[in-house]
Formats: sequence, C-alpha cells, structure tokens
Amino acid sequence: MTTQLKNFFNAKSFCVIGASTTPNKPGNVIAYNFVHTFPGKTFLVNPRGGELHGQKLYKSVFEIEEKIDAACLVVPAKYATQALEDSGKKGIKNIIITTGGFSEIGEEGVLLQQQMSEIMKKYEMNVIGPNCLGLFSPELGIDTMFLPGTKLKRPESGPVSIFTQSGAFGAAFIDQLSRLGSAKWVSKFISYGNASDINETDSLEYVGNDSDTKMIIIYLEDFKNGRSFMQKAREISLKKPIMGIKANRTETGAKAGASHTAALSSNDAIVDDLLSDAGIIRVTTWDKLKDCVLVFGTQPLPLGDRIAIITDGGGAGVMASDMVSDCNLKLAEFSPIIQKNLDETFPSFYATGNPIDLTGSAVAEDYRIALEAAYEDPNVDSIVNLCIPVIPDLDINEFIQITKDIAKRKEKPFVTALVGGDEAVYGTKELMKDDIPVFPSPGRAVRALGMLTDYVKYLKKHGIDPRKVSMGEGK
Amino acid sequence: MKNIEIFEKVKQENRTALLEHESKKVLRNIGVNIPPSRIITSLDDALIAAKEFGFPVVMKLMSSEVLHKTDAKAVVINIDTEEKVIETYDDFMKRFESFSIAGILIERMVNKGLELIIGTNTDSTFGPVILFGVGGVLVEAIQDVVFRMCPTTKEQALSAIDEIKAKKLLDGFRGMPKVDREELADMIVKLSKLAWEYRDNIAEMDINPVIANEDGIFPVDARIILK
Repeated sequence: MTTQLKNFFNAKSFCVIGASTTPNKPGNVIAYNFVHTFPGKTFLVNPRGGELHGQKLYKSVFEIEEKIDAACLVVPAKYATQALEDSGKKGIKNIIITTGGFSEIGEEGVLLQQQMSEIMKKYEMNVIGPNCLGLFSPELGIDTMFLPGTKLKRPESGPVSIFTQSGAFGAAFIDQLSRLGSAKWVSKFISYGNASDINETDSLEYVGNDSDTKMIIIYLEDFKNGRSFMQKAREISLKKPIMGIKANRTETGAKAGASHTAALSSNDAIVDDLLSDAGIIRVTTWDKLKDCVLVFGTQPLPLGDRIAIITDGGGAGVMASDMVSDCNLKLAEFSPIIQKNLDETFPSFYATGNPIDLTGSAVAEDYRIALEAAYEDPNVDSIVNLCIPVIPDLDINEFIQITKDIAKRKEKPFVTALVGGDEAVYGTKELMKDDIPVFPSPGRAVRALGMLTDYVKYLKKHGIDPRKVSMGEGK
Repeated sequence: MKNIEIFEKVKQENRTALLEHESKKVLRNIGVNIPPSRIITSLDDALIAAKEFGFPVVMKLMSSEVLHKTDAKAVVINIDTEEKVIETYDDFMKRFESFSIAGILIERMVNKGLELIIGTNTDSTFGPVILFGVGGVLVEAIQDVVFRMCPTTKEQALSAIDEIKAKKLLDGFRGMPKVDREELADMIVKLSKLAWEYRDNIAEMDINPVIANEDGIFPVDARIILK
C-alpha cells in the first residue's frame, strides 16, 4: 500500500494530461506548477498541440517517447475514461485525477467511476482521486493543486503532513498555513477526494513511514476502510502525533435495534472512542486544528502535566488556571529553592506562587526572571507566558526579546498569550515570525499545552518515552 | 452443544434471537463464568435444581414468544422456599399455557451489586464493535459507555473500563465492593473475540446487567441476536 503513494512522491517524470492554454484553468495552473517547481521531467499534453509555459504541448501521450512515472489527468469527466485508457496503454502506472463529476454527483457519476476502476485494474494503475486536489510537496516540487498561486498561497517545507477527504478544506488549510508564522510547515499534502483507489489508510501509512513527517493532520468525513485505518493509526500514533477532524458528526444516529447496545451505537459515539483508542487527537473546530499545528509543530513534548503560569494580570492567570484543570493538567508546585529565589527577588505585592502574578507594576525584566525560574525548575513541565501589554512600564519590544530568548531553548513546551489591542497584535506578529506560538487568549494557550500533554499521557500509557519521539521543534 | 450448532439450530427454527439459556450456553462455552442454572420442564426437576443450587433462586420463562420477560412478568426473583418454586411453576404453566415454551430457566440468584453492561454490535464502518459501560434498566438514559473494535486486547479493554465517567463506582464507592478490573477486562476480551469469530452469525449482543458484587462478576441476563 505504502509503495503506491511512494511511486507518486518519488516520480522522476510527470505528465499533465489536459494542460490548458487558458490562464487560471486547472490544466493551466497545474502545468505551470510542474514547469516551474518540479525538478524532474515534465510533459504537457493537449490534443491541439502548440506550446505552453515555454514547453512543447504533445498532442497525445503516445507522442512522448520517454517513460512517464506519473500523470495528472485534468480533463472533463466525460473524457476521463479515454485519457485513463491511453495512459494505461502508454504504461503510466500512477495517476492523479483532479476532475470532479464522478461518484459525488450521483448515479451517472458512479457509473463513470466504475468504468474508470475497471481500466485502473486492467492496467494495474494506482489512482488518487477523482474529485481532489491531488498532491503537494514543496520539498519535492510536486504540486497538482489547480488553484493559482496568486489565490492559494503555498506554504514552504516543514514538519506537517496533511491528508484530507475534502479538497476545499485542504485548500483553505494550506492557504492558512502559508501565512502562519514563517510559513515553513508542510511536508506532504494528500487530497484523495472520492478515494476510488488510494484512501485514508494508504495516506496514513505513507506519511506515518515518511521520515520528514513529524506530525500528521487529518480531515475525514467517512472511512473507506475504517478497521485498517484504526489498526494503522494505533501503530503510527506511537511514533508521531496524529490529530484532526472527523466531521459529519451527526451523519447517522443509532438505529433502534433489538438490543441496548444497538440503541447506543451512534456512528459518532463509536468513531470518537475508536479514534481516542487509536491515539488520534480529535479536534472539532478549525481554530483548534491550527493551534495544534502551532504547538505540535514547534514545541518539544513535555515530560509531565505540571504547568507554570506567568502573568501580569490576575484575571488572565485565574482563567488560565481554570483551563489547566479543564484540560486535566496540574499547576506546578515550585521547588523550594526556586520559590525562595522568587520570594526574595520580587516585591512583596507580587504573587510568587503559581501563577506568578507580576501585577500591573511589571517591567519586562520581571518576565525574564520569572520565566527563567520556571524554566529551570525540574518541577515544571510546561510554561505559559501571559501578557496584557497595556500596563504602563512594560516595554513590548523588551518583552518580545525576552520571550524569544526563552523560546529558543526548546527544552520544555513554552506558549505565550498576548491579550489586548495594538501592542498585543504587534507582539504576536513579531514572535510568530520566528514560529513562537502565541495565542490570543489564556485559555487557548493552555489548551494547546493540554493537547500536547494528552499525547504524552497516551505515549506513557503505552510504555513509550516521550523523549524518543522527535517533534517539529528541530525545524 | 457447540456455539455454531446453537446458532444453526436457532436459524433452523426461523429465529434470530437466542433465548436466554441458549445465550448463556454460548457464554459458558467461551469460558465466561455463569451462575449455576438449568433449563427444566417439570416441577420435580425444578425442585431438584433449586435444592442443588441453594436458595434463593430465580425462575425465568424461556419462550420465543416472550422476548421482554420482565414486561410479561416471566421473571420471578427471590424464590427462597420450595413452596414458592411450586407456586411460580404453576403460575407460569397457567399464564403461558398457550405459548410455545422451551422450558423454565432456574438459576441461583446473584446478590445485588453494581450493574454493568457489555454488548456488541455490527457497525457498518468498523464491523463488530464492543461496548462497555454502566448497565441496568437505565442504560440508554445514562449513556455512560465506551466502544472498542473487536477483537479487543486486554490493554484496550482495561483502558475502556477506565474511560467511563462513573469509574469511581468500580473502586468501592460508598461501601460497594471493589470491582476486579482484570476479571472484567478478561470478560470483555472473551466477548469481543466471540463477536469477531462469529461475525458472520452474530449481529448484536447484550449482556445486561453484568452484576459485580462481593462474590465476583456475573452475567445475569444475556441476549444474542443473529444476522
């Protein structure tokens, strides 16, 4: 199974069948992508011939003499069977069909997809799609996303691999990642659409074994092969975190059966338990998924569940503490020597317990002292850095520098929340340039650590030392 | 009788639901500990069985025409004298005269305890799945259950036990006996293997309640429904 997707990502030659001379048409965009980013050989096919993006347009695949490793079919559904048949005759074994108009449109499309499946089998081809965005890997220069770069910005190479049933979700998420921090996020992106051949389990297996992938994001609405997906996930989640959305939560309720068990068996209740049993971190909202990328993609794993909170506002500290308990985390108890130092260093009106409340009198340097103390303390597993920058003596630029200095160490998970207006937005932007996770509220910052810690708890439960799991922090 | 023979027999009789004594025979075949019980068809046998098991006993009417036994008053518990065995026997025979009766299941009564449920179902996506949770008559209202895919490992079963919201109840809550999680997990594993091995036959299964008390963990009612 893995070998199927490997064949696509390792392809040395790619053919775009249906390369279009009309700007912004899918066949035009994909041809452009390959001509400009693919390091291997690119062939463009259009029955009218001519030239495109400075390359020859072959009238048919049979005009091409060289061997072709993979092809992207960008022809309308009604021509797709013929194009697939030709590709088979030409000996192309790996095909991406981005075009829609198949099983997703009803009976007529189902029939068309069946015909395609027969051709696939006849020529022993591997197929991604139809009705998908196909593949994207900035590192490998593969990009079958048919949306023009002026509209859908491409993120750069990084630790995250994504596979998605929905192309629209994928496109939006990729576009968001292109403006998240440094934009260096994506390793492999797989949009498999109708999954006529390659499905969620194949995708999981591929990115699970891919050494460049440090974390896996999934978007699913249903399963083509639920059992083997869960079995694979159980193995892979012990090596790297898997997280994501299983949408369509209200799809089917439980059927009233003859047993209580049947009555309780709603599809989503089962999915929810099986995902968690397989070690997949399920999130239900888009925001949470982005928070996941930010924290899993940049931070080391914590060794335990003890959190230190540093704040300049009591309310923010209290809210963060509430979220600590909501996320089954604990407030760390500082070790005696660290506690003594804090007590002696700070004025008596600062709260030096946990949360450390530097109050409205805080200057940036106070943050350095408190953050370093928490960082040094072996009783602290993760640190939350909360700042409401409206207080008069806090220099935002100094605060930014101090936060950057601490964030660089990457020995413990470290998240920041900047809450407020212009200065908060400015600080967030500056820190995010270096992929330092900053959240707009105390709760989101703590919750991100909660997800990271949940994963560690899962690993420990299965006897895995979290230090053995390498994350995206090395990027 | 082997499990597959039980399933075949039920199918030949054009039934999909096993009667309780048949379901319990299946459970016994896979090594699940069932309270002493016997299916009897005469008053003499009822009295012998009651004496052998020791009072109190429970008597349940086994008929494919009576699936909701409690509703039909076809279950009598707390039978603690020979007179009551006779009384119950006569009452069943009179009230269910016109029914086709497979017999009366007489079994030693399980003491009160924590009521749990273990069940299996066939999911359209994942095939046989097993459920564990808080059982009893309120099971569908409480909905404190956890699913696993069949067959499940002991590790997965233990984690399922740990995931119910009411897990405090298992640890000796307010003087209740502490539930042996290992034994419970073993039972979940056995049932999940049964559902997996006979996935072509078994559609659904309800073991509810499974009673956990100071004597151990006992399936008190069992229902297996075939495809």
